Amino acid sequence: MINDDILTLYYYRDGLTEAERARVQAAIEEDTALRARYEQLCEDVESFAAAEPVAAAPAAVARWHDSIERVARIEQQRASSRNRVFHLPSFAWGAVVAAALVVGIGIGSYFSGNNVPEPSIDNGVADTAMPEPRSPSVTFARGLLVHLRESRQELADLPMGADSERAMLIMQMIQQNRMFERAAVQNESQDLARVLRAFEPILMRLASDDISPADAEALQAQLAFELNVMLTKLRRNVSEVTGPI
Amino acid sequence: MTALRKFILATLIVAISSPAIAQTDEAEGLKMTALEALISAPPERALPIVTKVLSGDSSTALKERALFVLSQIDLPEAQTLLIETARTGDRNIRMEAIRMIGVGGNSKALADLAEIYTAGDGDTREAVLEAYLIADDKDAVYQIAANSQNPREFEKAVNVLGAMGAMEELRALRDRPGAAEVLIEAYAVAGDVETLTALATDSSDPERQAQAIHGLGIAGGNEVGDVLVGIYRDTEVPDVKEAALEGLMIGDYDQAVLELFRASDDAAEKRELLETLVIMDSDAVWEIIDKTLENEQ
Repeated sequence: MINDDILTLYYYRDGLTEAERARVQAAIEEDTALRARYEQLCEDVESFAAAEPVAAAPAAVARWHDSIERVARIEQQRASSRNRVFHLPSFAWGAVVAAALVVGIGIGSYFSGNNVPEPSIDNGVADTAMPEPRSPSVTFARGLLVHLRESRQELADLPMGADSERAMLIMQMIQQNRMFERAAVQNESQDLARVLRAFEPILMRLASDDISPADAEALQAQLAFELNVMLTKLRRNVSEVTGPI
Repeated sequence: MTALRKFILATLIVAISSPAIAQTDEAEGLKMTALEALISAPPERALPIVTKVLSGDSSTALKERALFVLSQIDLPEAQTLLIETARTGDRNIRMEAIRMIGVGGNSKALADLAEIYTAGDGDTREAVLEAYLIADDKDAVYQIAANSQNPREFEKAVNVLGAMGAMEELRALRDRPGAAEVLIEAYAVAGDVETLTALATDSSDPERQAQAIHGLGIAGGNEVGDVLVGIYRDTEVPDVKEAALEGLMIGDYDQAVLELFRASDDAAEKRELLETLVIMDSDAVWEIIDKTLENEQ
C-alpha cells in the first residue's frame, strides 16, 4: 500500500531508494486513484509555497536572520555526518519483528531496499510533477510534518487488543518512520533522526503481543505526546523560515 | 490557539501548586497539554518550568513527558539536568532520562552514560544501549562489547551494533572466541554481505559455515542469490547444501531455486526443490506443476 507519507517522500525526492521510487512511479502510472491522490498532494504542497507574501515586522526579520545563522552553524558542525540505513534491529525487538513477518506482513521487503533490484529510473511522472528545487531542510521538514500528523492519526486509530491487524498497522508505521529517519540523516538533520529513532522501540513494544492493555495505553499516550511536541516544534521552525503553512 | 497563549497557559498551569488542582485525569490531561505547549517557549523560559515539574510531586507520566521536552531544550543546563535525573531519579524516571539523553544526542551526556552503564543493573544497561542506538553512537556500543566479560552482555551490545549497521565495529570483534554465532546474526542484521560471504564459503567449520549461509539469506541483496546458488552447487556436504537451500528460501530467491530445479537431473533433489518453492509460495510452482503434469500425459 502506498500512503501519503510515501507519496510525500516521492514528491520531495527524499528518503526513498531508486528502487522504491521506481515502484512508486510505476504504481502512480498504473493506478488512477493513486495518481489522483498524488496530484492532490502536489497541489496541497505547492499551495504551501504559494502563500501570499506578507510584510514581516522588523523584529521578526531579525529573529529569522538569527535562526538562519544558527541553522547555518549547526549545518557546518554536521558536515561530517554520514549516510546510514537504520536496519532491522534484532535487539529486544527482533522476536516481535520475526513474529510479525511470520504472519505474512510483506511490507519489509517492499521498502527495505535490500532485496529489491535497482532498476534504472524513468523520470516521466516524477519529473513532470516535480517543483523547483527547494531548501532541503525546509522541504524535508514539511514532509516530516505530514508524516508525523499521519502517524498521530494512525496511532489514535489503532485497534485495541493484540491482533494481527494491529501488529501489521504498527509494522507499517515502523517502516514509514524508518524511511523518514533515513531521510533525516540524508538531510543532515541528526536531531530529528534521533527523535524518529527513539519512536521505533516504543512502536516495537506496542506491536508486542504480550503487552497488557494498560501498558499499551501508556505507550500510546507517550508516543502521542512526543509526536505532538515534535509537530509543534516543526511547525514553528517551518513557519519561522518560510512563513505560515 | 497561538504559541504565546499556549505558553502563558503552560506557565500558569505548571506554576499552580499541585494541591490547587485535584489529581484528576482532567487536570493531568491539562498539564500534559501545557507541557506540549512549552516547546513553543524560548528555551531559557521553558527550562525552569520543566525543572519545577521534575522536582515536584507530579505523576511519573508527567515527569516522563517533561523529560522529552527537556531533551529538546538546546541549553547545557538541560543536558546537565538530564544526566542528574538519569543518576538519581526514581527508577522509571531514570530509565526515561537515559533514553532522552540518547534523543538529545549531547556528546558529554552520552559519554557520562558509560559510567551509568558500568554501575547499573541489567535494565539500566539495556536503557543505556537503547540510548546509544537512538544517538547512533556506534563507538560507545563497540567499547561496551569489546570490554565486556559477560557473554550475555556482549551479545546484547553486539545485537545493538547489528541494528545500527555498524559493520566496521562488528568486523573488529570478529576474532572474539566463542562469539561466532552471535556475530553472524549481527552481520546479517547489519547487512554485511562481504563478511558473511567470506564465512559462508569457508568450509573449515561446517556449523559456522551453515550459520553464515543462513545469515546471507537474512541479509539479502542482489548478489546474495548467486553466492548461495554457488555454495549449493559446489558443496558435497549435505548440511551445507541444505543450509544453502534454506538461505535461498529465507532470502526469497525463488528464481534461483527454479533455476536449480530446471538444472537438476536427480528426482529426489527436484522433489526437494519443488517443495521449497511451494513453501516459498512462489508463482513458479504453477508453471512447474503444469509442465510436469503435461509430461505425464
